[in-house]
Amino acid sequence: MTDIDAAAARWTSVGRRTSIGRLVARYALPLMIISVVLVAALTTPGFAESTNFRAILINTAITGIAAVGMTAVTLSGNFFSLGVGATVVMAGITFLATADRTGSAALAIVITISVVVLLGGAQALIVAAGLNPVITTLAFGTIIYGAIAVWTGGEVVTAGATQVTGLATADLVGLPMPVVAFLVLTAVATVLTERTVMGRQLRLVGQNRETGRTTGISVLATTIVAFTSLSIGAALAGIFSAAQLRQMQANDLPNLTMDIIAAVLVGGAAVGGGDASPARSALGALLLVTLGNVMLLHGLAPGVRVFGVGVITVVLVVTLHLIRKADAR
Amino acid sequence: MNKATDLWNRYGLQGAILLLLLGIFTMIAPGFVGENALFAVLERLVPLGIITAGLAATMIVGELDLSIASMAAVAGAGVIVLGNTGLGLVPLIVLASVGGAVIGVIQGWSIARFGISSLVLTVATLILLRGVASLITEGVPVSLENYLLTDPLLGRSWVFSPLSVTALLILLLLGAYLSRTRPGRAMYAIGGGRQEAVAAGVPLTRTLVTAFAISGACGALAGAMSSLRSGSATPDGFGTMLLLGVAAALVGGIGLSGGRGDMVNVLLGVVIASTLAAGLSTMGVKSYVSELFTGVLLLAVIALEAGVSQVARRRNLARERRLSLDAAGTARALTTEPLASA
Repeated sequence: MTDIDAAAARWTSVGRRTSIGRLVARYALPLMIISVVLVAALTTPGFAESTNFRAILINTAITGIAAVGMTAVTLSGNFFSLGVGATVVMAGITFLATADRTGSAALAIVITISVVVLLGGAQALIVAAGLNPVITTLAFGTIIYGAIAVWTGGEVVTAGATQVTGLATADLVGLPMPVVAFLVLTAVATVLTERTVMGRQLRLVGQNRETGRTTGISVLATTIVAFTSLSIGAALAGIFSAAQLRQMQANDLPNLTMDIIAAVLVGGAAVGGGDASPARSALGALLLVTLGNVMLLHGLAPGVRVFGVGVITVVLVVTLHLIRKADAR
Repeated sequence: MNKATDLWNRYGLQGAILLLLLGIFTMIAPGFVGENALFAVLERLVPLGIITAGLAATMIVGELDLSIASMAAVAGAGVIVLGNTGLGLVPLIVLASVGGAVIGVIQGWSIARFGISSLVLTVATLILLRGVASLITEGVPVSLENYLLTDPLLGRSWVFSPLSVTALLILLLLGAYLSRTRPGRAMYAIGGGRQEAVAAGVPLTRTLVTAFAISGACGALAGAMSSLRSGSATPDGFGTMLLLGVAAALVGGIGLSGGRGDMVNVLLGVVIASTLAAGLSTMGVKSYVSELFTGVLLLAVIALEAGVSQVARRRNLARERRLSLDAAGTARALTTEPLASA
């Protein structure tokens, strides 16, 4: 064998190993979901029924919508938002309160999304100026929580006489509205991330901020896009959640922030930036909810469910990181 | 630089903020001054002071332990459940701290060995430890059956309690460790300039493991003592401690980018945050309002830090440009002079 042959062999073997790493990173999640569903269907009575699948999808929708929205933040190298739970609750309360005042759910949706996007824009400006995104969103989350607690006095907010439950219960093509919104949003976000210039710019800035800047991409613009995506996801999650519950208060949904971050992490996003996909975040949310559902059907305590989510998150985060590192070599 | 300017640079801003706060509260909340106020502020050292010290250790090496509040929740739940099996006070606290340190070692080792970002790993362990806390408590609040067990912790002598004295001792020990020992100095080196420090032979893995062991032990100790004081624990306890700890550390002057700040900064930060909270609560302000204030304060401080580092960078750039211009000018003068004289 000549030197060239040896080099070529090494080259192709490196190529193959790389593609195996990529394949694992890309298909591990769908495979895990399929195996969980198969095993559960065989061992868990009551799992493989259409009403149960429907319940799983409805439960996934809220977390999933927010996780899909947050994926852009992770992709662009801004880690994650520690204020996303507070933002969702604020969106829900804003929606209910404006629906009550204006008497129109549609107008309330528009106002809510605008308010949340403006707040996201403010965070984007601060983060793009070079402040740590994790700390900034932690501070903003607290300010948002404090502001709604002060505004509502800690009381429960309802939509009054305005009808809002239709948003959560109305069927579209046989599925409830939040689930349809979740699927549509995932599809739109995936196309925007994979197939548009803006999506690729987000990815490049996330992979290497300096290179992005040198090639003329505005870090400010990409950060604003990322936080707008986060805000739209959080606003929709809040609106649907408020429509489901018909009432909300500042203390609601205390575990939401971590559930959303867990979904993005389990979805295999490289939190350092540059590798994340809305579809995988959506699948991450689906996997966590399906596992929770199976544990519930087996009569396990809620504590075990939270623990299971934690174990899966840590194991996947470390494994995916190691696969990626082996890939980059 | 003489000693006074050095002290002013390190603690001047924080001292000024503290004096300002004290001035404002003595004016608008006359009930605030005196022994009881001092006692209230010192009592907040557990858990906030110890948690902030742990966070500061990870911030000094240029990382951040987001899981510290979950660690406190696990330790809190653990000591209550174990306390009901008849274990004594001291073994409980020691066991919790050692357990926290062990988990911290695993975290620090994974971060150093795998090159994983500490924000990513610790947010995952935050979720995991929250699950452990809910597993231990079975998802419901637990309380101590033998409430005589914690009596030794509840004494008070003048403004001190056993808990606040323990917290002060921990700060003192950590301060001495960071400034007077070789591994402590290594933490500053790793935080200040990681590549330079590694190139100079400072051990990276050992230093990161130490930092996370400190934060794990501090988180667990804070949670254990705080839960023992109240005699109860909830699976989702200490939820706001991450925010308060990060805020106190940054307000106190621990640098987020690493290598800056010491335990005096931690103490100042915690006292500022506690004075704000205690002062507002004597005025009858609800706790969520004081959280709002803490959020605003945190945002202001990181904005200030970012602003200062921008100005410093610009000033450095300008100086380098001036120096290189000077050098170019000298070079031109040297090359043209012989020609002119010829």
